[in-house]
Amino acid sequence: MKWYGWAGKLVDIDLSHRRIQVIPLELDMMRLYLGGRGLGVHLVYNELTSRTDPLSGDNLLVFAAGPLTGTPVPTTGRFACVSKSPLTGTILDSNCGGRFGPYLKFAGYDAIVVRGASRIPVYIRIADDVVLIEDARSLWGKNVRDTTTALKGYGSVLCIGTAGERLVRFANIMNDNTSALGRGGLGAVMGSKNLKAIVVNGSNRPNVYDANLLQHRNADITRLLIASPVSSKGLRVYGTPVLMNLINYMKVLPIANFRRSTSPHAYELSGERIHERFGVKLTPCYGCPIACKREIKPSGVEVPEYETLAILGTSCEVTNLNAIIEANHLCNDYGMDTISCGATIACYAELNNLQLDPETLISLVHKIGTRKDVGDELAEGAHRYAKKMGHPELSMDVKGLELPGYDPRGVLGMALGYATSNRGGCHTRAYIVGMEIFGKPKLIHRLSWVGKPNLVALLQNIFAAVDSTVMCKFALFSVSEEEIANALSAVTGVDFTSEDFIQVGERIWNLERLFNLREGFTKLDDMLPERFFQEDTDVKRISKSEFMSALLEYYRARDWTKDGIPTHDKLQTLSIAGEYSHVA
Amino acid sequence: MWREFDKFGKKLVQYGLTHSHFGNMSVRVGDKMFITRSGSMLDELDENQIVEVHLHKPTSFDIIASSELIVHREIYKNTSALAIIHAHSPFAVILSLLTDEKEIMPVDSESIYFLHEIPIITGKVGSAELAHNAADALKDHKAVIIKGHGTIAVGKILEEAYVNLCCVEHACKVKYFMDRS
Repeated sequence: MKWYGWAGKLVDIDLSHRRIQVIPLELDMMRLYLGGRGLGVHLVYNELTSRTDPLSGDNLLVFAAGPLTGTPVPTTGRFACVSKSPLTGTILDSNCGGRFGPYLKFAGYDAIVVRGASRIPVYIRIADDVVLIEDARSLWGKNVRDTTTALKGYGSVLCIGTAGERLVRFANIMNDNTSALGRGGLGAVMGSKNLKAIVVNGSNRPNVYDANLLQHRNADITRLLIASPVSSKGLRVYGTPVLMNLINYMKVLPIANFRRSTSPHAYELSGERIHERFGVKLTPCYGCPIACKREIKPSGVEVPEYETLAILGTSCEVTNLNAIIEANHLCNDYGMDTISCGATIACYAELNNLQLDPETLISLVHKIGTRKDVGDELAEGAHRYAKKMGHPELSMDVKGLELPGYDPRGVLGMALGYATSNRGGCHTRAYIVGMEIFGKPKLIHRLSWVGKPNLVALLQNIFAAVDSTVMCKFALFSVSEEEIANALSAVTGVDFTSEDFIQVGERIWNLERLFNLREGFTKLDDMLPERFFQEDTDVKRISKSEFMSALLEYYRARDWTKDGIPTHDKLQTLSIAGEYSHVA
Repeated sequence: MWREFDKFGKKLVQYGLTHSHFGNMSVRVGDKMFITRSGSMLDELDENQIVEVHLHKPTSFDIIASSELIVHREIYKNTSALAIIHAHSPFAVILSLLTDEKEIMPVDSESIYFLHEIPIITGKVGSAELAHNAADALKDHKAVIIKGHGTIAVGKILEEAYVNLCCVEHACKVKYFMDRS
């Protein structure tokens, strides 16, 4: 059978037994889950048993590209990684740019499944049909830049730094130095397997079913990307720091661990200011015309993303741009999530009544990355640290995942999106910022609950599908599910309507929910930190009764019970009714 | 200032000069411009629906400003206008589609007196071409019609731009019925 879009096989690597198998995929399954996040969720859900220790050899790491990865469709040079999170205990997917995803497809695989744990540090090297498990003892102890430099001759490098080796619970896996599989500690899972890196290269391009039609579909997408001010005027010009002034203006910028929501110093950290102060070079992901990533010339040090500026910066009450640039660079080199790292430091500062200065911030990043002194406790994440210190209320997290750079009191769709996210406090699951902040595709009232529960559910479904193609979420500021479904059909030869596409996302979302329910999560975990119901900033606190009503409406929109459990009928509609016994 | 925007936004919708979502307004203050947000409803404007952007360089607020921001910028940079209203006024749109001419010559006395001819320009929404064509035509006219799209009117204050926009729509309405009588 000739595959279009998909490569049609995955490589399964058992590190405990040093066994490598190439496994063919089934088209019916790929229709249901597409690839990327969907394929990973399907595999992790089915292979893991309840209460698997995420830092044991029993956990699984699935690295999966999508049917569009490596094709000419704009912004699709991405891949996903799915596992059980050591930070949250939930299922966790993460999504990454860089070059690894396309190179994986060029090597002829849709996914790599890593299971077991090696006795000694190893790395995996893939070049087309050749898959090797190599000794990595000489690399162990090196951080991301040194590891990448050592291996980049073999292809695109995915590796952990010493934070992953030391099982920092929010350790990242980094691709080619600066692109991150972030949030939730996938780097620690990799570290627990004694897996230092995966390097991939390949010489084949994915087949495209109808190249002429795809040209037209791509022209549609490109036209929309150019027409949208968010992609062509905002992210293209300033990168994600374009958000700093906007978010501050809307009074939803996290300050001092979410105790305030505006800063007079926001401009100092803004995209405008960064471009005034530094020469900047664009460093786009593979096949991306938006090019939001950038580095400072001539040092090559990466410009922090907005979330980093907000959480490692203003939420820690550090507004010294140079210090945040250095802290960001250190996090990337140790291989740590900048949001969780910053949020944990902000929690530490509040709990100990500390006013952080730039030197202390940088020193704390070092301590966490090396698990030295207080860094050992902070490396467990804000939730565990605050609980251990007797003040769980000072951790700004949902389901153990620290919140990113939007104060939910001023963006109520985001509040519901945080609370119901399957991987915990994350802005990119529903990504309603597009509508509540940018007004794309339509401006909606950010302080109203009206229509939000339905919208949050829909957006969660759409983005779950987008994460499975794998396209960049930023493209969704310009294009809709219709253009993506059209491109998907042209690439794969499988007819996808926008409704089919959304249903794929809904299937994935429900399966993730089932995973979390199986792990013991309940509706009580669909909750925000109490601070947002108790304290005002420049924006009023959230009414808890209104929030609870919106949550119930959200469950209804999903056809779940009032306890947040998917019904048998819903699972049947999604062709996953066999999983109902886990929650019945 | 947002109250002025609100006042004329309501009038535009109330008097059928456009529908709620179809149009934008701005006022120039020195090197800055206040402009309606993308996606805002003209008859429900408040202070959060007006954003401040720079006239000569991009700012982060560009991404939430009206998608016609580029057109407003170009007009301010090339004319003496201090206020701009753009609305999808129906008779202006219809008449621009019914003619192959590059301008509409009013037939009613008021419009002949105030507007002279009304240029019809072309260009896609929010495009550099549209920005250039609009700025060029507005150097010596009070208003232009974008073919099949709507009217852009300028003034020293929003009220003057509003009057000019009303005048164009009145001229087009009268001419439409005259041509068919």
